This record gives sequence, structure tokens and C-alpha cells, in this order.
Amino acid sequence: MSLFSWLRPHRPGLDEHQQVRLAQLPTAGALGENTLRDQRWVVLDLETSGLNLNRDLVLSIGAVVIEDGAIDFSQQFERTLLRAHTKLSPSVLIHGLGPSAIAAGCDPAEALLDFMDFVGDSPLLAFHAPFDQHMLGRALKDSLGYRLAHPFLDVADLAPLLCPQAHIREAGLDDWIAHFNLQVGERHHASADALATAELMLILFSRARQQGLDSPALLQQRLSQWKRRKQAPSF
Amino acid sequence: MSKADAFTQAGKTAVLQNIHGTLQFLQRFPPFNQMENAHLAFLVEQCQLRFYGPGESILKPSAGPVEHFYIVKQGRVVGQRPDSAETTFEIATGECFPLAALLGERATRTEHKAAEDTFCLQLNKPAFIKLFALSGAFRDFALRGVSSLLDQVNQQVQQKAVENLGTQYSLNTRLGELAMRHPVTCSPLTPLREAVTLMHEQQVGSIVVVDEHKAPLGIFTLRDLRHVVADGTSDFTQAIERHMTQAPFFLSPDHSAFDAAIAMTERHIAHVCLVKDRRLCGVVSERDLFSLQRVDLVHLARTIRNAPRVENLVALRGEIGQLVERMLAHGASSTQITHIITLLNDHTVCRVIELSIADKGDPGVPFSWLCFGSEGRREQTLHTDQDNGILFDARDAAHAAEIRGLLLPLAQQINQSLALCGFTLCKGNIMAGNPELCLSRAEWARRFAAFIREATPENLLKSSIYFDLRVVWGDEQGCDQLRQGILDQVADNRLFQRMMAENALRQRPPVGRFRDFVLTRKGSDKATLDLKVQGLTPFVDGARLLALANGIAANNTLERLRQLVDKEVIERLDGAAYEEAYHFIQQTRMQQHQLQTRENQPYSNRVDPDSLNHLDRRILRESLRQAQRLQSSLALRYQL
Repeated sequence: MSLFSWLRPHRPGLDEHQQVRLAQLPTAGALGENTLRDQRWVVLDLETSGLNLNRDLVLSIGAVVIEDGAIDFSQQFERTLLRAHTKLSPSVLIHGLGPSAIAAGCDPAEALLDFMDFVGDSPLLAFHAPFDQHMLGRALKDSLGYRLAHPFLDVADLAPLLCPQAHIREAGLDDWIAHFNLQVGERHHASADALATAELMLILFSRARQQGLDSPALLQQRLSQWKRRKQAPSF
Repeated sequence: MSKADAFTQAGKTAVLQNIHGTLQFLQRFPPFNQMENAHLAFLVEQCQLRFYGPGESILKPSAGPVEHFYIVKQGRVVGQRPDSAETTFEIATGECFPLAALLGERATRTEHKAAEDTFCLQLNKPAFIKLFALSGAFRDFALRGVSSLLDQVNQQVQQKAVENLGTQYSLNTRLGELAMRHPVTCSPLTPLREAVTLMHEQQVGSIVVVDEHKAPLGIFTLRDLRHVVADGTSDFTQAIERHMTQAPFFLSPDHSAFDAAIAMTERHIAHVCLVKDRRLCGVVSERDLFSLQRVDLVHLARTIRNAPRVENLVALRGEIGQLVERMLAHGASSTQITHIITLLNDHTVCRVIELSIADKGDPGVPFSWLCFGSEGRREQTLHTDQDNGILFDARDAAHAAEIRGLLLPLAQQINQSLALCGFTLCKGNIMAGNPELCLSRAEWARRFAAFIREATPENLLKSSIYFDLRVVWGDEQGCDQLRQGILDQVADNRLFQRMMAENALRQRPPVGRFRDFVLTRKGSDKATLDLKVQGLTPFVDGARLLALANGIAANNTLERLRQLVDKEVIERLDGAAYEEAYHFIQQTRMQQHQLQTRENQPYSNRVDPDSLNHLDRRILRESLRQAQRLQSSLALRYQL
């Protein structure tokens, strides 16, 4: 009985090669004091079978990389996951991943290993990050028995923090895209959404630098202050 | 699978979405729309997308040799020279930079800044070089930059002509290419009969008489044969040298068809010899030039000069319109066309004067017919006002009044006849039939001196019309003296120059700091801009001022610019840019007029930039920006 067997109680599926890859995944550290430009970021968007945090599954992963302050077109990630028993749910209308596309997808364990390789030790950015963080975390735990510990920053919080003059309440990604007049291709497709989010992030990083927040740690710190203040009862 | 392989794999799948989206974006703009998909995909895959906030510097001269190629994906980039805050150019969505610096492996000379929130695709130099090697379309574009854009416009114009007329014929064709046949020649001592037989056998209208080195000595044409026969010569054994036209006019094979057409029109000849290294290498006839056109320039000019009555001239005006239309379609440039219109208008005016004198009787006083404004500058388009006057010599005031009395009835009839021929009567009454514009040389000189001495707004406006004066008919000497007087006085009067500069700055070219174009809307009309007033006038006014201030006697705006460059008043590069810009605006204006004629709309100089295609819009914007630059340089020179 392997010492690690408890790590993957429901997953007999990983072969030896996958075990090795899993063991080699780098671990992410806390956000540092380096400049925003020096930090490699992974901007993530997931399409899921629905919005239920406990029941629904990740269907596809799209991600782009911000490195050296720019979106690098040569580093993009896109996978559709093979899900054997997905029922057709209304969200198919949004993400457009029909049963045939899902059936043509790849083994979730393989896809998730690829993805975590792609991420490396970079922090993650997503619009409404807590949702993506939770869904990805659960998928990694179910398929690989891996515990996701990478820091996430929520673009939906960063945007109003850094652009207080925008006056859009409860804004969605579409609202911000419209606000900055971003030219995006096909929305509601994991990698197109990730690219749109990344373009938004480039603007936000530029604003952050103007406001003297030129490190990931500073940005995170200001973000949590802002959230606390927002949640504090106002007198 | 190794990490690198995994990334490659991931990259390949992602091509489906984001790369494809960017690809589609690029395919809306030249040169990307002409590149192969594989090359374009290579470009996009190697790109980084960067964001720049307003005012953020993208490239600057101090940063050393340029390492990246940029394409504006969204937003606007402006260029600023280090020594001024003036915007020298603007780069909009879909455009790229800095080609010259990148190819020259040097730093950029201009600082490139984001004018607003701007995204740029950035390609590193090794990838740029690879793309340069891979894609012919890209290489072509990169090497020729904006001038290749202008070429594309010209190609479009000519392509349209080919579609309309099914011909490849162009006025820019080298004469060497037009003269396909070997020229028919003979020696000076050849008997007339033998020479004519040779012409008959070869089915040509001319024979060139050459010496033993093939240098042309004379030309004998069918017209000359007519003279021989009409003169009653019966001895056809005489040597041809007795009947040929001596020292025939010639051009080099590198001259253009346009040059030959102009020479034929000016000189009333039908054949031009082509000579290279003093050897005859071809003959171009009127027929060779215009074989594809029903109306031809030379024939038209001759018909005008020989028109028996004013009514015939009126009828011929319609043919001038057709000729211009055809020439524009054949790819003639705006400069060539204004030149042709001016030439034909001059012929018309001369003929009207001759016919009027024949009709009313010769007043018995020598006079010169002057023209002003665009006619004076040789920049007329098809619809044109009369701006003319009369200059004569008189001993004193009383003598001048007497001569005026003699000339005025004739002048008024000429004005009326010209109106019949399509030269609209001038609303401001700047016409020779007006006693104030039928003056002796002393009176004109006094009048012009007053304009310069008292620079009232009214006088400034008048000087902008009258100081472009030129003689159309009659002796030119008096006019030359008047012009020299103007040049001397203006050069001497800094205050007048300054007022003229102020005047030249009044019409601002309609390009905005934040938008493409600044348009004006009249009532419910679509927003438009005025190509003449807002586009050409800044160049015309600027060139006039600088020419007068620097003793340049030329009237034509492009000629003035060229001479200003020669005198080093304007930098050579700037002069070339102004010339190209002026040229393009004029061309756009003429195409607009042509379109209006075809659709039976009234003539207008207003254009809606949205009605132009992407390329034309972009070049128009750059052209108007050149007008802006010329104005800024005036403001600097005269400290306004």
C-alpha cells in the first residue's frame, strides 16, 4: 500500500508516468515584491457544466499568459475535457460545448496535468476568480488528488479598485469590455474569454503602476483592504 | 511528454480561437490582407500584445536601435520630434511602425507615444526578419512603406480604368515602349518621290531625315506633302531636304506619353522624334498616343485654335470634359490634368479674344490679357470662375483713360463670350470688363503697392488673388515687370509677410487631436470636410507667401514648392511630402467632381470621409496632416 494512496482515494486511474508528472509539479509561493512586469501571470477562464459549485464539472480550460508585461501569443492553453456522463444542461447554450465536442475532448487527468505544467508556479487571474478557483480546485482533487494552492486574484475586484471613476456597479466582464471599448472576438469560449480578461488586466496593471502599486504583493494587500472596507458596516 | 512539447501542443490547439481572432482582425488591413494565411499565422503566434496608457512612450530615439515591429490593434499612436511638441504623424488601428528604423537597424527619430488607451501587437526582430524573408507581400510593403500605399491607390485608379476601357494604356507609359516600330528614315538627298513612296509602303505619316550618324536633321510629314502639292511643285525629283521641317522637336525614350502629348499641344505638331545619344531611335505620332481615345488632346487644341465662331467653342467645352474624364481614367495624375485643362482653357481664351477682336474690330492698342487666382496658378479644374484683367501701356493718366475707353467694350464682350464657353462670370466682378481691372502698367503697379502697404483684411484677400497673375494673351513683358515689383516690395515688407502668414493660418486642416477628421455638419447633411478650402488652400497660401517672400516668380503651387526646396527655404523631405499630399487631395477632389458629373449632382468640394475606402481615408488624413505641418512651420517662422 503506497504512502500516497490516501491522497487519491477515488482515483485508481493515474498511470506511472502521470504519477511522476504529478510529483514534479512545482508549488506556488506567495505573491512577491517584484514588479508587476517581472511577474509571469496566467489568466484563466473555465467553462463548466453549470454554476453549482458541488455538482457541476469543468468542461474546458482556456488560459493565456502575461509575461514581461505583455500577452504572449505563443503561450496559450486550451483543452476540452472528456466527460463521459455529462447531461445536456442549459449552460450548453452559453459555452456552446455540445456533447460531441466533449466526447472529442481529452482525458481530464492528462489535461489537468498539462494545465498545471503550463501554470508552473505563476499566480492566477480570473474574472470572478473564487468560482474558477473552486471549480479548478475540485477538478484537480478529483482527477489527480492534487491540492491547488496557487494564489488567485479576482479581476472583478481589481477593476473597480483601480478604476473607481468607472461607476459600474456589480459589473460583469462584458461591462468592463464595453467600458474600455475592447475589441474581442467570440465571447463565452474559454480561451477568448481568457484573452479578453487578460487585455483588461493589461489596462489594470497600467493603472496600478500609475497608482504606485507596482508589485503583486502590494496589489494583493490593497485589494484585501478594499474588500474589508467594502464589507465593513458603514456608519 | 516534455514540458516544451506540452506547450507546443497547447499552442497548437489555442490557434483555433485567439490566433484566429487576431488573424481576422489583421486581414482587414494592408499589407496583412495580401499575405498568405500561414505567414499571417506565424506573425500572430510570435506576437505579444502590449498595452500603453495615454501619454506613455512606446519608442524613443534615446532607446537605441529598434528591436520590435508594432501593429496598432486598438487606439492611436502619435509621433513627436524631440525638439517640439508638435504631432508629426498619427498611427491608427491596423497600421504598423517603425519600418524605416527597423530596416535601417537604427533608433527611431521620432518618439512614438500612445495618444489614448492603446493596444499594440509587438513582433520581435528575429520574427520580423523571418517574416520579411517568408512573405513577398510583407517585404514589399515594408520596403516601400507609405509610398507603396500611394502606389496601391494609383493601381486602383488605373485598374478601374482598365475595367472601364479595357486597355492598359497610361499617360505615364515610357515613350520608348510606345514607339514599337522602327522609324522610317532617309538621307537629305533622297528624291521627294522616293521618300513619299517609302512612306506609302510603310504606311506611315512621317519620315525622318537623318545624317550618316542617324542624327535627325529634319522631318517630312503628310502635312508637308500637302504643302508641296498645294504649292504646285511638279518636280518630285528634288531632294527632300528642301521640303522638310528643319531641326525637328525631339524627346528621349524615357519621357512619358504625357510629355509628348503636352509638347504636341503646345507646339501644334503631330510627330515627336525619340533621340538617345543623338541617334534617332523612334517616332511617336499623335495617333500612337491617342489611338485608343476618341477625342484627343492635340486635335482638340487645334480645333479650339481654329474655331470659326464662339458657338463652336461652346460645343467643344463638352469635349474637354470627356477628355478629362478619359485621362483620369487612364491614370493621369491631378497635376497632369490641371495642366491639360489650363492649356485648353488658355487656347479657348485666346480664341475668344481673337474672335472678339475680329467681330468688334481691332481697337488698335496693344494689350495683354491677364488672369488671376487658380487660372493664374495653372491649377484649374473643370468648373472655374473668370478672374481676369487687362494690362496696357500708357503715357499718363489721361492717355490711360482714353485707352480704357477703347478697350472696355471689347473686354466686356470677351467676358460674355467666355461665360458662354463655361467660364462662370465672377461674382466679385474680377473681370477685365470692369474699369477697375482694365489698367495701365503704372495703375496696376500703384494698386499692388497699396495692397502691400496697407495690409487690411480686404487687401490681403485681394493680394491672394491678384498676386498669382499671369499673361494668357498678348505681350508678357509688362506683367513680368509688375511681378518683379511685387516680389521686391514683399521681400522688403516683413509686416505684410506676417499678415499674409496669419491669413494663411485661418483655414485649419480638419484633422483632430482625438479623432480622424473634424467634420462640419450643415443642417441635416452628413458631416463632411471641404477638400479645396480646408485641404488645398493651406498649401496654396503657404507656398504663395514663401515664394513672394523669397523672390520666386513661379505661380504654380507645386512649382513654387520645388523652387523653395532648391532655395533651401523648405527642407527637401518636407517639400516632397507637401507635394505628395497636395497632389493626393487634388486627385481626390477631381475624382469627386467626376463622380458628381456622372450622377448629375451639382459640383461640390465637400467630401464625406466615410465614403472613401480605408486606404484613401488613411492617406487623406496623412495629407491633411502635412497641411497642418506646413502651417505650423509658418507659425514658427513668423512667430504667430
